[in-house]
Amino acid sequence: MSEIKSESISSLVDNYSLSTDHSISAHLVDNMLKDEHLSSTWQNYHLIGDVLRDEVPQSLQLDLSKTISDAIAQEATILSPNSSTQTSGQAIAKSNELSSDYVAGKNTETKQGTNLVIDATNRFKARVSNFVKPMGQIAIAASAAALMIVGVQHNVAETPSSVTPSQIVQTMPLAGYANPVSFSLQSPQNEPSKLQNQKAMNEQLAAERVAQQRRLHALLKDHNQQVKLGSNIK
Amino acid sequence: MKFSALFLLLVSLNTSALAAETESAKLWLEQLSKSLRELNFTTSFVVVKNNQAEPYHWLHGISEKGQELEIFSRLNGPRRDILRQGDIVSYIEPEQEPYSIISHHVQSPIPTIFRGDFSELEENYRFISVGRSRVLGRVAQLVRIVAKDNYRFSYWLWLDQQTGLLLKMAILTRQGLLLEQIQFTHIEVSEQLSGSLVQFQSSELPEIIKLNNQHENRVLAWQVDWLPQGFTVIKSNQHNLNSHNQGDNKAVEFMLFSDGLVEISVYVNLSPENFRAPEYASDGATTVFNHIVQGIEVGIVGDIPLATAKKIAESIVPATKDNAINNVQRSVREPQDD
Repeated sequence: MSEIKSESISSLVDNYSLSTDHSISAHLVDNMLKDEHLSSTWQNYHLIGDVLRDEVPQSLQLDLSKTISDAIAQEATILSPNSSTQTSGQAIAKSNELSSDYVAGKNTETKQGTNLVIDATNRFKARVSNFVKPMGQIAIAASAAALMIVGVQHNVAETPSSVTPSQIVQTMPLAGYANPVSFSLQSPQNEPSKLQNQKAMNEQLAAERVAQQRRLHALLKDHNQQVKLGSNIK
Repeated sequence: MKFSALFLLLVSLNTSALAAETESAKLWLEQLSKSLRELNFTTSFVVVKNNQAEPYHWLHGISEKGQELEIFSRLNGPRRDILRQGDIVSYIEPEQEPYSIISHHVQSPIPTIFRGDFSELEENYRFISVGRSRVLGRVAQLVRIVAKDNYRFSYWLWLDQQTGLLLKMAILTRQGLLLEQIQFTHIEVSEQLSGSLVQFQSSELPEIIKLNNQHENRVLAWQVDWLPQGFTVIKSNQHNLNSHNQGDNKAVEFMLFSDGLVEISVYVNLSPENFRAPEYASDGATTVFNHIVQGIEVGIVGDIPLATAKKIAESIVPATKDNAINNVQRSVREPQDD
């Protein structure tokens, strides 16, 4: 019985359905979700497939879902102060009226159990946070705007400075044979006020790049040519 | 039957299961090779690399005389065509006069081995059939050609389930970084030879050029001490590396290696400079590497990772006197080009 199931799971893993009937595979998936044994089989098959296809990650995390659910279980439950604190007074009043209502009843139970002083501080906090929230939002917006202004100014200041090559080897010109690299376009357009030796250095750098570009391009070209002629010699 | 196979799979990662997947991949690749040789097809594809896309037309067919006809043409920029009638391959390029050579090899975006014998690659690559997906509106079978070592790239092929023709190809590093892609945009398989090929079959190809073989296979002064396993020498010679427009020709010693799928060119020459830091560029999957160490300039070009190119470049040593060529080829000899 379970062997047959294993086989159908295997087919599912391979994305290969034995029958065209989708309800069967849907049924199988339902079974798999319920049955721990079957779902572990499903996991194992995927792992096997990954290993076969050489797709195993560097560090093998065997059961990720379990670790995650464990981690969630250990996580402390965070109880956010909900809006009921503000309305608890009303809730009490309400609960007196509708004592049959279960939810409200529970609410009053817990609220009555807790100290009323805490209730008061909560209310105060809530009020403060209501007041502070918009302030905070304005502050964030303002600082973002300030950053933008600084950034723009910085950018504007940056652009007129001399153009220096950032990339040591430019790969793009190699791609198209049609467009030869023209470095004359890139020669720095320095204002006359700029230092002469800076210009000379830039030119030297550009020349160096041209030479490098030429060397690499020549190699690539010759390689392609030689491969074409390759089997002529045999 | 299927049950027992499954059981084996369950028990352990045994070799027979692996073999089954490889076997299916091999069948697909054989089908590809057969289809590329025997079908009449008209296709368009785009080569995507370096953030650029180059469109091509690719036509193939069998003439009435049973000869293979093939046309590759690049559609953007200056005309760059490859024409093939059987063993005669013609290159029409903007830089030089059209010429033909007699060759089995066609230097096109589609590796020549794809229409050859894939079993040649088995020594250095693994074939893995992965699964199906949809490419070009068709059901495609994904087959990976994965390098067994770290020194090569891997190739992923999406093959048409019906015809076995190529629908998509990707070249990736071992880490899974995509370097180059070929995506087909149109595929048409027909019984009849297509119109352009009918015209082509009666047209005359450019003159076949004869290479002067006097410099070929000469004993070289340098040898490569290390190559990834499976690379064999295709040829070695001395020629001028001419960078066309500027007149600074320089003589280089040249060796061409291949593992069946990719070619590596090695250039060695003495340089007036004593040292130059390594420089490199990449054109899609093709790496170009160049450096000068102790007055020896070495250039490596090929569809290999940079680390491999560097390792080869660093392994260049003066040839030992006895027999340089044999030394170069010692690990990887085949008796064919003696």
